[in-house]
Amino acid sequence: MRPMNPRHHLGEATLLSYAAGALPTALGVVAAAHLSICAECRQRLRLAERIGGGLIEMQQDRPSPEQARQAMLARLDDTPAPAGASMLPPATLADDPDALPAPLHPYFGPSLSALRWRWLAPGVHLIRARVDEGNLFMLRIGPGRSMPVHGHNGSELTQILQGAYNDELGHFAPGDMADLDDEIEHQPVTAEGGTCICVAALDGTLRFDGWFARTLQPLFGL
Amino acid sequence: MMDLDHPTTRVARFEAAKLLQRPPSAARHDWAVLVDAVACRRDRDSFLRIYDYFAPRLRRYLQGLGGDEGLAEELAQEALLRLWQRAAQYDAARSSLSTWLFRIARNLFIDRARKEPVWSQTQEYLEEMGVLDGAGESEPPGTEALTEEANIRRAIEQLPAVQARLIRMSYFEAKSHQAIADELAMPLGTVKSHLRRAFLKLQNELR
Repeated sequence: MRPMNPRHHLGEATLLSYAAGALPTALGVVAAAHLSICAECRQRLRLAERIGGGLIEMQQDRPSPEQARQAMLARLDDTPAPAGASMLPPATLADDPDALPAPLHPYFGPSLSALRWRWLAPGVHLIRARVDEGNLFMLRIGPGRSMPVHGHNGSELTQILQGAYNDELGHFAPGDMADLDDEIEHQPVTAEGGTCICVAALDGTLRFDGWFARTLQPLFGL
Repeated sequence: MMDLDHPTTRVARFEAAKLLQRPPSAARHDWAVLVDAVACRRDRDSFLRIYDYFAPRLRRYLQGLGGDEGLAEELAQEALLRLWQRAAQYDAARSSLSTWLFRIARNLFIDRARKEPVWSQTQEYLEEMGVLDGAGESEPPGTEALTEEANIRRAIEQLPAVQARLIRMSYFEAKSHQAIADELAMPLGTVKSHLRRAFLKLQNELR
């Protein structure tokens, strides 16, 4: 997927927790998908990692036991462990509109065209990925369709991969990130003229209102 | 000729021997020079200076993340072994040594303890993308590194208590926003806005 100039970015709290290694897995995968196409957020991530370095510096210093020092020295002649094959492609600025962001490859494969969608509701298709913490899924929403109004019990991260949608928070186009917390209720409606594909993560469940939504929730399993 | 048994000489000799044996661990060095000595000359003394300063800090960091003492020791050693093996890849213009080691230790912990095998690969990918981005905000290189470290410490120390606490819970305990909210009985949105303000304040200070 090509590098982009998104207008909606990762929130500061999300970036901090990503750098700290404290985001639940599902949210971390979607945050990484955004970071892989957004130079601006990569810059901000570096600041968040500098904070980690600063905190390491500020740790109190109790000298290592001599035994540990000797054990360290004894290992310096170890042969470096061979690096395993990466499940991610090499970093590139090349422009391939069919390629999924690299951090999604281990979960959804390499390309949009090879995805195997599952029908969920008229105009709505879904693919779920298996992760240890949280829910990670891709959604394909047909032209002119809308998601039911919903809130979240927890955080939601959504990265637009193709097409666009509008909701109470604005217009979201490819590369844009919707970084939402449990105080936001919204109803994404696909923008005119195309299907919208996005990857999303939740660390809680979706909260739907109304009978239609309550009917849909079990289908989602979210 | 020098009187070898003169008390002043004895003290000086003793001090010199101590320095050789174990550099004062609180001492901060020009890390870039030491890493360079490791990369170019496989210099064990330079490595030990880095080890003596960073191993205790990494050990404590890793223990905070939830590793027991044994795992923390093992991963701290593993992180510094990476430094020994990959010293040539360290670029002082891109990050301070403490940030570089923080990243290595964090990645080792997530891969090992949380069993997320693609985490490290993802971080390497993002790092490579960052290199492709070319020039940009980078940490001050080499000689200015000490100032950079001092600035970060000062900026973190100046945070309001609640923000500092949430930063610590994030970095040193790897607690998610929700876990922090649950533990402190604080709304999720409040946790996020404290962290957001802390980040913006640090960004402002460190630009």
